[in-house]
Amino acid sequence: MLKLKFEYKITLAYLILGIFWIISSDRLLGFLIDDTDVLTRIQTFKGWFYVFVTALLFFLFLKRHLNKLRETENEVERHKDNLEQLVIEKTRSLDEAINELSLKNKQMADKNEIINSKNVELKGTLQDLKSMQDQLLQVEKMASIGVLTSGVAHEINNPLNYILGGLTGLEQYFEENNNKDEKIDLYLSSIKTGIERVNLIVSGLNQLSKSKDSSQKENDITSIIENCLTIINSQITDRISIKKDYPAQGLIVYGNAGDLQQIFLNILLNAVQAIDDKGTITVSAHSEDNNVSIQIADTGCGIGRENISRITDPFFTTKDPGKGTGLGLSIAYSLIIAHNGNLRFKSEPNKGTTVKITLPNKKTKDA
Amino acid sequence: MLKTKILYVDDEPINLMLMQANLEKKYNVLTADNGFSGLDILSNDNDIKVVISDMKMPNINGIEFINKAKKISPKAVYYVLSGFEITDEIQDAIDNSLIRKYLQKPFNMNEIAAEIETALSEK
Repeated sequence: MLKLKFEYKITLAYLILGIFWIISSDRLLGFLIDDTDVLTRIQTFKGWFYVFVTALLFFLFLKRHLNKLRETENEVERHKDNLEQLVIEKTRSLDEAINELSLKNKQMADKNEIINSKNVELKGTLQDLKSMQDQLLQVEKMASIGVLTSGVAHEINNPLNYILGGLTGLEQYFEENNNKDEKIDLYLSSIKTGIERVNLIVSGLNQLSKSKDSSQKENDITSIIENCLTIINSQITDRISIKKDYPAQGLIVYGNAGDLQQIFLNILLNAVQAIDDKGTITVSAHSEDNNVSIQIADTGCGIGRENISRITDPFFTTKDPGKGTGLGLSIAYSLIIAHNGNLRFKSEPNKGTTVKITLPNKKTKDA
Repeated sequence: MLKTKILYVDDEPINLMLMQANLEKKYNVLTADNGFSGLDILSNDNDIKVVISDMKMPNINGIEFINKAKKISPKAVYYVLSGFEITDEIQDAIDNSLIRKYLQKPFNMNEIAAEIETALSEK
């Protein structure tokens, strides 16, 4: 069916009504009224009637139509309000969701951070464990070497005692009988040299087995280092200069004074022997947490990479026969371990070696 | 003048023999190869001025022997002579004045004689 828009409809209705009225009004009036006078009088109201009827129709049409429009408008308005409300609600719940998400995100980031820090911690712990394991292995090695060497030392000392006693007796005998002979002197002094060398090795072995000494106290490390430097002074002469970088006093190390002196003496002697011609030995010491850290750096021949893991092994030496027993560093190391300390090396062949000794400044629980 | 009496206790006969041979000119060296016979000698002779004992011996060790010996002869000077490094037990004995010194093997007879002379002169 043809659907006309309201303006067309109303115009069309108006036209049809008008045309119909113009054509049919006279005939209708003629049909209803016979009296010509009345008819003439009524003629005047014909136009009025049309105007009223069309006005009434217009009013009704327009009213109906506008009502519809207003309703629609209201509905649209309502919808709009609804929509706005809806949008506000949706926006609010979206905001909430976003907030929740960002909170979750933050929590995740926090957790991530915790995991990362735990990871770093774990890595550190693992490294600590590894180095502790290495140390334990070394300590165990030294301990079993200690048991062995103390037995060996005792067993050698007794027969060595016979030789020395016999030698003393022989010396007395030759002296009493006035039996002075160059050859006898040579023989006796050879025996004596031999005894001295064996004695040096055995007493070194004995020190290796010595885990700790009962007389422990607080020691000023500076005076111990100074003592050692005085002892090696004759070997230093003009060729080696000593640089000192430590306070005049106040660095305290807990332990046995004799043992501590032995540690530094052995390491300093190694430093002196590492320098062929001219060089420098730098001795520095400072406090580090609950420890005192002492560094002895020389500009000597250095230690090859292949040897560095073996230098604390007993009898390991690169010195010429008779020049060193290979026990010095081994003794120093076992004494450091007995004092709950730590020994580290850094060395570069032909440049020098730095030895870092760490010793606790207080009595540790199993020291 | 009579020679100073010394008692040397050690479980190794060669050590006893050598000590005696080397010091017999200066001292009257009595020997015992274990702690108990050492105690017997001390009980029968109150003129012993110096007692030297090995540390590691069967049945009774040096410190145990000296502890007992000191009750018999408190005025004598006591020494431990051993091939081992100084132990806590020996260090305690020094700290408590049970022994005067710890002497280590191998020992030089002349040094031991000198030490005995110093100890006796301080008496």
